[in-house]
Amino acid sequence: MSEHEFHPSVKQLLDGDITIADLPPELRAEGDEALRLLAAVDRSPVQLPAVSRRVMRAVAARPARSVWRGVVKPRELRLRIRPWLLAPALAIAAALIVFLRTAPTAAPASLVTVRFMLVAPDAREVTLAGTFNQWDAHATPLIRSGPTGVWTATLTLPAGQHQYAFVVDGVRWVPDPGAPAVNDGFGRRNSVLTL
Amino acid sequence: MIIALLTLPLSLLGMQQQGSPIAARLAGRVPPDVVALVEELGTAAATRGLPVDPLIQKAIEGSAKGVPSDRVAAALRLVVAQLGTAAAALQDAGVVSDTLVIAAGGFAVTAGLSGHDITALARTGASVPALTVGLRVAGTLAAMGVPSAENIGLISTKLRSGQPTDDLLLVPAHVQAEIARGVTPAQAAAGLERAAAAQARRGPPPSRGTPPPHPPTPPHP
Amino acid sequence: MRPGPEADGEIVRAVLAGDRERYAQLVERYRDRYARYAARMLGSADAAEDAVQDAFVRAFDQLSQCKEPEKFVGWFFLILRNRCFAERRRSRTEASLEAAETVAAADRTDGGAETAERRRALQLALMALTPDQREVFVLKHVEGLSYGEIAERLSTSVPSLKMRMHRAYDRLREELREHK
Repeated sequence: MSEHEFHPSVKQLLDGDITIADLPPELRAEGDEALRLLAAVDRSPVQLPAVSRRVMRAVAARPARSVWRGVVKPRELRLRIRPWLLAPALAIAAALIVFLRTAPTAAPASLVTVRFMLVAPDAREVTLAGTFNQWDAHATPLIRSGPTGVWTATLTLPAGQHQYAFVVDGVRWVPDPGAPAVNDGFGRRNSVLTL
Repeated sequence: MIIALLTLPLSLLGMQQQGSPIAARLAGRVPPDVVALVEELGTAAATRGLPVDPLIQKAIEGSAKGVPSDRVAAALRLVVAQLGTAAAALQDAGVVSDTLVIAAGGFAVTAGLSGHDITALARTGASVPALTVGLRVAGTLAAMGVPSAENIGLISTKLRSGQPTDDLLLVPAHVQAEIARGVTPAQAAAGLERAAAAQARRGPPPSRGTPPPHPPTPPHP
Repeated sequence: MRPGPEADGEIVRAVLAGDRERYAQLVERYRDRYARYAARMLGSADAAEDAVQDAFVRAFDQLSQCKEPEKFVGWFFLILRNRCFAERRRSRTEASLEAAETVAAADRTDGGAETAERRRALQLALMALTPDQREVFVLKHVEGLSYGEIAERLSTSVPSLKMRMHRAYDRLREELREHK
């Protein structure tokens, strides 16, 4: 054990599982040091009054939202599931895009709800960047569901041509292994979504 | 970086808009030397009737990906060249182009199709909106590995049959389903073309009856 | 309506239907709830202000993705969390200046200069941890959650949290000793 590491019993003390009285005498000094560390924790509440005004200013400036009135689920669904082939060499595998289409409409401003999925059990963070969000690698987080490492995000996008990629842990740009890809002109590949 | 992106648009709200629309869209997202290049290329493109949006998108993309300015410049010039190829190809077919169909053609070129392929699709006589979708789908098929001949064959047949564009948009999924069954992309596309041609000979499918009620129209922006 | 999950759901639906002014109610309600978490994660109240503001705007933009409107606050926390994790790692000097300002601004009535200095030193040491380590420490020792509650919120296991925390303890000890 390096000299910087707390004794396991002292860690239990830090966790609150035991009290200082439970420590053997030779560990009391280390226990005191640990408790002093905890005493230095700043628990004072933080208030951010300016946030309300600034958020509502930004919200007011947003263009009108074009989603269905009421709850988000479209009532009429045609499900198209693509049986994507897996690329076994990739540690990140099996991205599946499920299209939830509305009933057929000839309206030029039609919207399609698309669910993006990526299986990435070792990732800490997965986001989606593409033409629909100005390639902002922080704008669209995927949400991880449980320990299996399935990350998903559902977006409502206008019909048209989109390109995108996943951004893993903020630094690694990964095209969707299950989608068609084109060169991005920078030496990487972008995934293609044609709605 | 995030902070700059959030505060800049808010401050712009209160100010008179300065500079070109291109600069306004790129401000805060893209370094100044790239902004200048996009303005130069974008102005030239606009006078040629080419869409400017793909340039703006590509510049934003390059910046988001941390690409050095010289590589972004090269990519931008490539986009212009691809749009030019698409526009010329459409003109060869006598199509009165709009920016959307040229952009769709530009995408098709990015995906690997040639000017000749674009002209072939345009010569089917499809309406410009249908041709726009056709080019996008053809580009998607090319990205999936469908060779040009089978690709253009399938999309031409579809365009000539006058089917609604929703059906055209489902083609990549059908091709992918066939590929999953074990055929090559070329075979998949060729098989679908044969089916489409047979369908066209038989005539339009029987009416599907009353369409089911769909959700109310979303509010227009 | 009394504050609570039902009321949140009603507000989310109203906003999605077009009544964006009501979003202000959600902002008021939860603006400060995670402010302290963000401040301890990012090292200063200023950084927390930007992060919380950013997260609320993003939550508005993506409100249609909130699958369960009654659970807005949990969904919002994840957006804020991602934003905190995405923050670029600052140099030690920058972090040091921010931490000093934060504690200077806080009230000095409890314990005075020595307490303030120890708080500053710990906040600085926290910034040397990985975001994952810092987070488990903040959630347990600042926010007062149990390991079980943290595990549920982060969809992970208690043993893996403890492992992370114990590494954090050691790293903090090392940092505090090195920079006395």
